[in-house]
Amino acid sequence: MSKRKGKDAHLPVGECITLVQQILRERLCHQQLPDKPDGIEAQHKHLLELLKRTAVHGESNSVLIVGPRGAGKTMLLKCVLRDLLEEKEAQKNLLQVHLNGLLQTDDRIALKEITRQLHLENVVGDKVFGSFAENLAFLLEALKKGDRSSSRPVLFVLDEFDLFAHHKNQTLLYNLFDVSQSAQAPIAVVGVTCRLDVLELLEKRVKSRFSHRQIHLLSNLTFTEYLERVQTQLCLPDDFPDSKFAQDWNDSIQTLCEDKSVEEVLQRHFNSSKDFRSMHMLLMLCLSRVSVAKPAIKPADLLEASRLCFADAKANMLHGLSILELCLIIAMKHLNDVYEGEPFNLQMVHNEFKKFLQRKSNSMYNFDQPVIMKAFEHLQQLELIRPADGSSAKTQREYQLMRLMLDHSQIMEALQKYPQCPTDIKQWAMSAFG
Amino acid sequence: TPRHATPSIPSRSLPARQPANVLEEARTRLHVSSVPESLPCREQEFQDIYSFVESKIIDGTGGCMYISGVPGTGKTATVHEVMRCLQHAADVDEIPPFHFIEINGMKMTDPHQAYVQILQKLTGQKATADHAAALLEKRFSNAAPRKESTVLLVDELDLLWTRKQNVMYNLFDWPTRRHARLVVLTIANTMDLPERIMINRVASRLGLTRMSFQPYSFKQLQQIITSRLNKVKAFEEDALQLVSRKVAALSGDARRCLDICRRATEICEHSSADPSATGLVGMSHVMEALNEMFSSAYITAIKCASLQEQLFLRAVIAEFRRLGLEEATFQQVFVQHQALCRVEGLQPISVSEGLAVCQRLGACRLLLLEPSRLGVLQRIRLNVSQDDVLYALKAD
Repeated sequence: MSKRKGKDAHLPVGECITLVQQILRERLCHQQLPDKPDGIEAQHKHLLELLKRTAVHGESNSVLIVGPRGAGKTMLLKCVLRDLLEEKEAQKNLLQVHLNGLLQTDDRIALKEITRQLHLENVVGDKVFGSFAENLAFLLEALKKGDRSSSRPVLFVLDEFDLFAHHKNQTLLYNLFDVSQSAQAPIAVVGVTCRLDVLELLEKRVKSRFSHRQIHLLSNLTFTEYLERVQTQLCLPDDFPDSKFAQDWNDSIQTLCEDKSVEEVLQRHFNSSKDFRSMHMLLMLCLSRVSVAKPAIKPADLLEASRLCFADAKANMLHGLSILELCLIIAMKHLNDVYEGEPFNLQMVHNEFKKFLQRKSNSMYNFDQPVIMKAFEHLQQLELIRPADGSSAKTQREYQLMRLMLDHSQIMEALQKYPQCPTDIKQWAMSAFG
Repeated sequence: TPRHATPSIPSRSLPARQPANVLEEARTRLHVSSVPESLPCREQEFQDIYSFVESKIIDGTGGCMYISGVPGTGKTATVHEVMRCLQHAADVDEIPPFHFIEINGMKMTDPHQAYVQILQKLTGQKATADHAAALLEKRFSNAAPRKESTVLLVDELDLLWTRKQNVMYNLFDWPTRRHARLVVLTIANTMDLPERIMINRVASRLGLTRMSFQPYSFKQLQQIITSRLNKVKAFEEDALQLVSRKVAALSGDARRCLDICRRATEICEHSSADPSATGLVGMSHVMEALNEMFSSAYITAIKCASLQEQLFLRAVIAEFRRLGLEEATFQQVFVQHQALCRVEGLQPISVSEGLAVCQRLGACRLLLLEPSRLGVLQRIRLNVSQDDVLYALKAD
């Protein structure tokens, strides 16, 4: 931003709001790197020292970063790389190769990508020449010719490391680890994964070559820290052009975080998961409700956002069903109660439904078999029911065994909120055993 | 076009820094890559391989040898050392000159690439796999004047297995030809590999010259580290003993031992700020390194999980106890979870949220799950023992 006006300059509210949206969205959606990592200083130091030794001393290393999803593994790695490259010695020498297990789905593709990113001599433009075997031999030869003191160190980052362990023979991993354990070009292999049992996936000779260094990112965050984190995420930086607005905004965030109902909501989110990505999601939903007419986040926004986050998908789907489909679901629920979760077919459901109709005087819901069939198929398409076994083509559709993919609590909740649900159907649903 | 490209990594603009203090010096020496000139504790194996290959080279005959042992027991390093010594002997004309070539099953994309690599290392020719096989066949079966002996090292032999086993068959059949003068040394991990995966005619050609490398004992590991450090005083005696005893008890893998020592020097360096430190790597540093590298993270992961995740694990165990089985569907566990929520005085969670909690535990493999499209019907298993879960949940 080139807006370097005086600190006291007053901008119009609209411009301020745009700026706020821009800054906070950058922070929440684009995973902007923090200036210094919070709560993971030890891990940061360990990794930084390790990579520095590779870059500066030419020592080969391998390490795995392990932690649940959304715990900040990539953030840690990026922070470390940023800090590492501030040093001139590292910046001039280090070559980086970034691979992702989701993109490089087999060794052939991974190898081409490595060759391309290293700009080896069998690359012309962006195209890699030679067969898979030749590429591998070429890369290994290149790494073998290098040595510790004279060739540039290479950093291999393997994102989604566990997927690389599913490649055939684990050839790529074996070769990378082997280079890191022998007197060849200095390399550092950094794997990033969320699986705790990742070492069990490695073959024993691959495992033997791995240095067994693991950096665990497990947050033992307390709720107070979580609250502080929310506050810092929402606060505006000091270099915001309009200091008056920034002050007001930060004050309003302060009061927001002290609000009892807000605290309750955040506590609930904290209980459910400690990862930062879901927190960012929640804050993002709040932020999108800020506008010129309402230039601050109110507790009600947070409650609404939290309601959106915790909404039950299947129960919401049930609201959109027709009465007939709802009746079928209720019949299935009764069947599940009576037969203790045994699978059912359309005929059984229809019979159950008929029993309900017989008890009633007016037959408002007296549908033909094909109509019911259609409703049944609609439920199947919505995956509210699914075939009990895989053999779909063999049996006739009426007699195919099905299972209900809903919990009773979901059905009950949906019935409560169903718009204009007939009373008798509600009663039928409440009654035990049909 | 890159037909004559030379494989190389660009060279550094600034030279690498040399080790500055004792700990850094020790770390360089302890790196697995700095293999010493002569391996300690493998003298007997060295002698056996040396005399086997030497006799074959002097007689001008061929033969096979099968070397086995768990990873990290010095198989490849010993063979390399043997070949270095023999090369030296050949240079001073004690034995006839010979070729040494090396292939590694893991370093090729397909078993048939073995032919291509052998041919290229022998003659520098490039050919397709079939053509290379034919050329090698011709070379090893025809007599030629002034033919040198060839020593072929095949590492990771089990990767050369194919359905018809023709690659293995050829590798073991060539030495038996009268004019081949080929010595094949094969290395693999399992002792009974020939009996297990080779058909009879292949196993019989491999012959009975076998050797197995035992895992290192704690004394040997200790000797390896001391010889590597070679008078660099960086470790306390007890610390070395602890590392070697621990590794010997677990696997006897020398790589592991060296890695732990290296990590211990780092830990020592970090903690050198406090004044009581002697500058030597002591017991506490080694203990920390051992804990870091051997302990599993499951228990910490459970301790660090969110409240609902911990409750879910508890619900899983409760349901297992009720059923008397080690497996339950999500629906069954969820009923328990709701009950537990009520007991703990928490707001009950919706099914969607419960599924999300369950998926998070599945993603880091505390639970083993069926594919998530089965929704509430998916079956759940624990990936850790129930005792571990209970211990982790109780400890706080």
